[in-house]
Amino acid sequence: MSEKLLIGRTIDTGSWVHRIDPRAKMVAMMLYVVIIILSNTWLEMACVAGFSFAIIALTRIHIKYFIRAAKPLWVLMLFIFIVQCIKVDDKNGAILLSIGSWNLYVEGFKLGLFSVLRMVFLVSFTAILTFTTTPGRLNQGLEGVLKPLKAIRVSPDRFTLMVSIALRFIPSILEEAQIILKAQASRGADVRELPWKEKGKMLVSLLVPVTVGAFRRAEDLVHSMESRGFRMGEPRTKYHRLVWRSRDTIFIGFFIVMLIAMVWMSGYGTGELWTL
Amino acid sequence: MFQRELIGPHYTSNAFEESVRNPSVNSSKCSPAIELVGVSYGYAKKDLPVINDITFSIPQGQWVALVGANGCGKSTLVKLMNALLPKGEGTIKVKGLELQSDTIGEIRKTIGMVFQNPDNQFIGATVEDDIVFGLEGQCLSIEVMEERVKSYAAKLGIADLLDKHPSELSGGQKQRVAIASILSMEPEVVIFDEASSMLDEKTRNDLLNILSDMHKSGRYTIISITHDAQEIAASERVLVLQEGKLIADRTPTELFQDEKILEMSHVIAPFAFQLTTELHKYGLDISIPNCEKELTEALWPLHLRK
Repeated sequence: MSEKLLIGRTIDTGSWVHRIDPRAKMVAMMLYVVIIILSNTWLEMACVAGFSFAIIALTRIHIKYFIRAAKPLWVLMLFIFIVQCIKVDDKNGAILLSIGSWNLYVEGFKLGLFSVLRMVFLVSFTAILTFTTTPGRLNQGLEGVLKPLKAIRVSPDRFTLMVSIALRFIPSILEEAQIILKAQASRGADVRELPWKEKGKMLVSLLVPVTVGAFRRAEDLVHSMESRGFRMGEPRTKYHRLVWRSRDTIFIGFFIVMLIAMVWMSGYGTGELWTL
Repeated sequence: MFQRELIGPHYTSNAFEESVRNPSVNSSKCSPAIELVGVSYGYAKKDLPVINDITFSIPQGQWVALVGANGCGKSTLVKLMNALLPKGEGTIKVKGLELQSDTIGEIRKTIGMVFQNPDNQFIGATVEDDIVFGLEGQCLSIEVMEERVKSYAAKLGIADLLDKHPSELSGGQKQRVAIASILSMEPEVVIFDEASSMLDEKTRNDLLNILSDMHKSGRYTIISITHDAQEIAASERVLVLQEGKLIADRTPTELFQDEKILEMSHVIAPFAFQLTTELHKYGLDISIPNCEKELTEALWPLHLRK
């Protein structure tokens, strides 16, 4: 189970991108989302692709990991593609395929393809954030990015503590689930051999012990935290401090330049031939 | 002494002999570290109390083993000392400070607790993060925190594991991390709540050595909840609980000689002790040994006497 789980896993290659401040990476990813949304033509998409591959190359992480990160979403992508194909009903447009009274228009096909491409880029590229940043640093970055929320009395510390505990215990709870599954299998109830309906029932019987186990862990954890003097809202010093360096500004700079280029291109509608 | 003994790879060796050579340890047993007067506690009002009118005091620097059958209230009792459970009846004083809602913070600084499950008390994502969790709460400066992480990691032999995730560690290593996390906060009282029960024999011995070294340093008052005969034998004093009541307060030697109490507390005397008791029945006059080695030393001259 955990072998296939790529989300949240760090792949350490010691690259330049790995050393970037997590706050810079988070802001950069937000800018990337805007860039992706702004790319409406094939030329723009090609530029985004070039840019994305360049940054991915900088991480020195093999491209297969990025492809694998987008893989679990194939059903959703297929769905979006089909909906786009069906939705477009352009009476004057060129027809790509006719099945009975239903026509697949070139326009719809292109739109569908474009949406899927956008999604692939978005999911694969933003995986950079988790691939190149350890959960701990990611959490520190999150606290930094959420700081403005203090103005509306939302405590980022509370939120990041929650995230860090979740990150710490998800693998333990998954492991416990595996053990319970194996225990059930050893008593003759192997979930892999059951039909789907039975599998569902089995998973319910898995849910109860796992939930109970999680509560037990939570109680132990609270005792451990409290006995180490932890009290919510009390002042604490920070052991890890993030330091903003010039490389972080440069990293964000790449994305800003790309964003400006995108705005400029969509503003001028460069290359009529390239548009959809 | 703790510092000197724990640094370096051989910190676990000859702990026993060291104490024989240097009997003047823990000389500062003046004011009690922990004082309980008439403490009772029940989880629900209708239920029978889990802790029933317990009174005792523990001088500073003493190593106390708290024993009893499962469910007799040992864990509840130590959790009450650290205010992990709401206050019951009676008074609890830690270093002369009475446990009340406004003194909880101060008392938790004095008492450190190591729990049974090494996995569930690991708060940080890495060993280093786990050690600094308590230090951050004490609002220490980065320099002090760095210094403490370094020195306590070295003392517990986990200096090369600082950037490891808990899933990469063994049970014994995790328990060392838990101890380092607690000791780095420099508490005066350290409570081990069945800290060795999930460990294998070798790691358990390692833990026992750590406890012995801590004790010899004279810096810590130790309360260890345990079922392990060796650990009980190494302590100075044993408190026996049964159904929430304190039924015995004696030295380990006295406890091991009292079969009735042994049975009530579900404790099995160490092998050397059992053998000596059997030999006494055959009229052999051997003094009660502290360890198997001592028993061997006492036995072999008998062969010459023949």
